[in-house]
Amino acid sequence: MATFTVRRVAGLSAHYAGLLLFMAFTTFPFLWALSAALSGDPSKIWLFPDAFVPNDLSLMWFKRVFEEMPFNTYLLNSTIMSFWTIIGVVVVSVMAGYPLARLKFPGRGLIFVAIIATLMLPSEVGIIPNFITLKNFGVWASSLQEALHLPSDWNMREWVGLNSYFGAIAPNFATAFGIFLMKQAFEQIPQDLVDAARVDGANELQIMWRVMVPVSIPSIAALTIFTLVNAWNDYLWPSIVMTGKEKLPLAVGVFNDLTGPFATSTSLVMAAIVMTVIPVLIFFAFTQRYFIGGLDGAVK
Amino acid sequence: MKTSSSYTTIAYLFMAPALILMGIFTFWPVGFNTYLAFHDYALVDGTATWNNFAHFKYIAGEELFHSAIKNSLLFLLVVPVIQLAALVVAKLVNSKLPGMTFFRASYYIPVITAVSIAAVVWSNVYKYDGMLNMILSWVGQALHLLKAGEMVEIQWIGDPHIAIFSVMGFVFWKGIGYYMVLYLAGLQAIPAEVEEAAVLDGANAWQRFWKITVPMVKPTILLCTLLSTIAAIKAFQEVVVLTRGQSDTYTALFYVYAQAFQNYNFGRAAAAGLVITFFCMILAIIQFRFFGEKK
Repeated sequence: MATFTVRRVAGLSAHYAGLLLFMAFTTFPFLWALSAALSGDPSKIWLFPDAFVPNDLSLMWFKRVFEEMPFNTYLLNSTIMSFWTIIGVVVVSVMAGYPLARLKFPGRGLIFVAIIATLMLPSEVGIIPNFITLKNFGVWASSLQEALHLPSDWNMREWVGLNSYFGAIAPNFATAFGIFLMKQAFEQIPQDLVDAARVDGANELQIMWRVMVPVSIPSIAALTIFTLVNAWNDYLWPSIVMTGKEKLPLAVGVFNDLTGPFATSTSLVMAAIVMTVIPVLIFFAFTQRYFIGGLDGAVK
Repeated sequence: MKTSSSYTTIAYLFMAPALILMGIFTFWPVGFNTYLAFHDYALVDGTATWNNFAHFKYIAGEELFHSAIKNSLLFLLVVPVIQLAALVVAKLVNSKLPGMTFFRASYYIPVITAVSIAAVVWSNVYKYDGMLNMILSWVGQALHLLKAGEMVEIQWIGDPHIAIFSVMGFVFWKGIGYYMVLYLAGLQAIPAEVEEAAVLDGANAWQRFWKITVPMVKPTILLCTLLSTIAAIKAFQEVVVLTRGQSDTYTALFYVYAQAFQNYNFGRAAAAGLVITFFCMILAIIQFRFFGEKK
């Protein structure tokens, strides 16, 4: 019995040692960044293990980030873009998911297969055509503006073309993942509920809005959370579409600044990184069960 | 009661936003990309002229494209490593012991951070006087492998022989939490009795892992392998943000990106993109066949 307990303790220790070691691997870059950002005296930030303890605790680097970088502009842009991406994705996915799940119509199978097939395409290859499409949108918008004799300071080219919020987020609205998730959710709703609403004289829009959507709130919440994190972190496409500095989101703006003129002070770089990561981390702390527990539904 | 034809109208009206957006931003690019691949495209006025496969002939003979393809294939090395590691980690956190939620969350942090921001930290980790070399030096000195004051000085992202593997390391760090969660879902579907029975029969942890866990999460392994293979072939954001293609780290899609947005040769980029799309399709088909038979 004694050997059994010893082996159990040894096993448990090995288990936790493994977990801690792996945690060190996944978190050390950010722990280091945090410690460096909090160090008023940066002389030790390149020494291991001293660098992982803040030296002369101070918040001055965070203050300097606000002073030297348009951090608030980036933050506002990220917020605007994430918000509208969520609205776009949820509306498009709910509307497309409903008929695919609950209505019979010709072409349903084909459309569903086509949507799922987009998962196989390397979407990155679409970057070039989409860039050209958006450039054309801008050209068309400005010809429309001239044709209608609208004031030139409206600058409609930057409403829908390159360097527009629309251009940076619209390609992300219709996703196979979102449509599939909502279709799965709607399929699980009992038919009786729909029939009862129909007997009461509800039309399809009312059935969707008053019956389907309220019952599917957990799935919509999951979709919202995933979309928010993806939109917030989207780097590549905004970096291509946004040609001006004033509309850049955090992931692009901070990266450009940190690898450009601000790269001189590592402490400043680390402070900016910590400030960019913290909103996502706080959000993640509240919603983590959707990420690391509630994925089952989405996978199957 | 409504007729079925009115349902059809309603159904298509509801799907209209999705179909239009996908049409413009997903399906149209496939066709337009194919068109571009066979033409010389001028970005300024949008004119395209047929060029008799010139782009394909060019990339077929270009050293840079060859090394990009080679690097992308080399990237496939990440797939088995990340799959095995993710499964082992998922196994570790799939227990009723206290603190598991905390560990899962900490493993997932790299997944939820923007690739660009994570890359800035990692470029400081990978520098020749960066944190990784500092840690290695400290470990080396603690184990008396290095003399006091001697430092490890490896150019993790500056040395062409190593750089591509450093990028892979970054991809591994960034992606493992995602696959861990997928495996966790698979593991939670295994009834606890199976493992308990094996313990009673005297099977050790190693045997249980290979004889019970691996066979029972096979569907998840298929899914994750497929996802990570496609991700590996498509890897290039990591290159954009970490090395910008320097020190021999061009991957296939980075070549496409660089041709389009650094050289402004959209036609050639599209031709390379078409070749890669073709690769991806074949890979997906092979994998489905391969795993489909074994099921």
